[in-house]
Amino acid sequence: MLRIMNSLKTMSLEISANTPASTNINSIRWRRNPRKPIWKGTAKSKIFRVPPRTVIPQEEADEIKRLYNKYKTEMKTITRFFTSKYNIENQQKDDQDLNKKEFESDLEACMKLNDEWNAKQKVEREASAAVELEKSIQLAKERRKITEERRQQRLNEAEEIVRREKVFAKDFISPEMLDAAIEKALANPVDHNFALDLEGNKIVGYETPPLPKETASLKQ
Amino acid sequence: MPYKYIGRTLDHKGKTLWEIVGNLKNFGIGRLVVRNMFERYPEPSYLRILKVVAMTNPEKPSMDEPRNVRVWVERTFRGKKYPEPYYIKAASFKADYKLIPRDEEEAYMKGSNPRPVKLMPKMIELPPLLKELVIRENIINGDPPEKDNEVEAVYATNVNNNFRVVKDGEKPDVEVTMGLGKPISPGLYEGTGLEFNK
Repeated sequence: MLRIMNSLKTMSLEISANTPASTNINSIRWRRNPRKPIWKGTAKSKIFRVPPRTVIPQEEADEIKRLYNKYKTEMKTITRFFTSKYNIENQQKDDQDLNKKEFESDLEACMKLNDEWNAKQKVEREASAAVELEKSIQLAKERRKITEERRQQRLNEAEEIVRREKVFAKDFISPEMLDAAIEKALANPVDHNFALDLEGNKIVGYETPPLPKETASLKQ
Repeated sequence: MPYKYIGRTLDHKGKTLWEIVGNLKNFGIGRLVVRNMFERYPEPSYLRILKVVAMTNPEKPSMDEPRNVRVWVERTFRGKKYPEPYYIKAASFKADYKLIPRDEEEAYMKGSNPRPVKLMPKMIELPPLLKELVIRENIINGDPPEKDNEVEAVYATNVNNNFRVVKDGEKPDVEVTMGLGKPISPGLYEGTGLEFNK
């Protein structure tokens, strides 16, 4: 694009490259002052107002349309002319050998830089890998220790259970002693269907014959 | 008591497309439908129905939420017939369609000669100030001054365009110049002191 700098004194025309700073377009979405903000809505007195239709005379409408189309065509034409003339992409000379040479030199430089980065990265990678390995070994050792401790703890618990059960096992009825245990149980029936008085005395004898008085009045 | 309409007026006049095809035998395939808005042109514009696919009725059908319909039509716009079928769905709700009775179809389609295609120039001369700048730049660069004084015109691309750019050896019928151009109605410019000879 061109920027036309028209000096009033000399009336000279000067051509200079356009910069993004010289382009400043602000879109205003509604009229600011003195209009009320757009989010205030329609005034109560204007809700049912029906604005009259805009009537444009036919010849004026035709002329407006013609000017609009013309303006669009002209602007598009000028824009494309400027683009084709001044766009950097269109300025490049299409020289195959030069392009190839440029590409190769660029590639060489890139490869050199890449190798440098790779060498630098290799040193860093090896150092960090060693640190990581040491960390992992330490962690594994710790975990092994914890696992061993837990295993030992579980073993101790299990042994404690076995020891406790062995003590109870003295009262268990073995197959040899089964008949004697049955005989004993039959000889000594237990009556659970008893009553209690206010002092907590057990009163049996609802179904079974009452026990001798000394035994029956025993406190629980 | 006569109806009294309130509110904003509308240019549309007629029925929605579903109101027409939904009440016709076989959904009106083969019938002629026209848009009221396109009757303002001197050349006839009409739609010949090829295929109809109904759509569900809205939950609360009303004037604000009419029923749509998918219709494929053979389209003729301003006397020009389009080769591909034209698909109408988004515009089917518009209450602007009119059914043409079978006995009036022939009369309606009569005179369907398309407008002549305008020939537009390929090159346009640059506006005076820009042309002067280009000439000065050419001189600075050592190019001939008349280089780029005329540039290739860029026109709107639309399927409904009724013009084309001239080919080699053809003469354009329309003159395109940068500037005000030749007005359609010069009476509008009376008293402004503008000259349209150029």
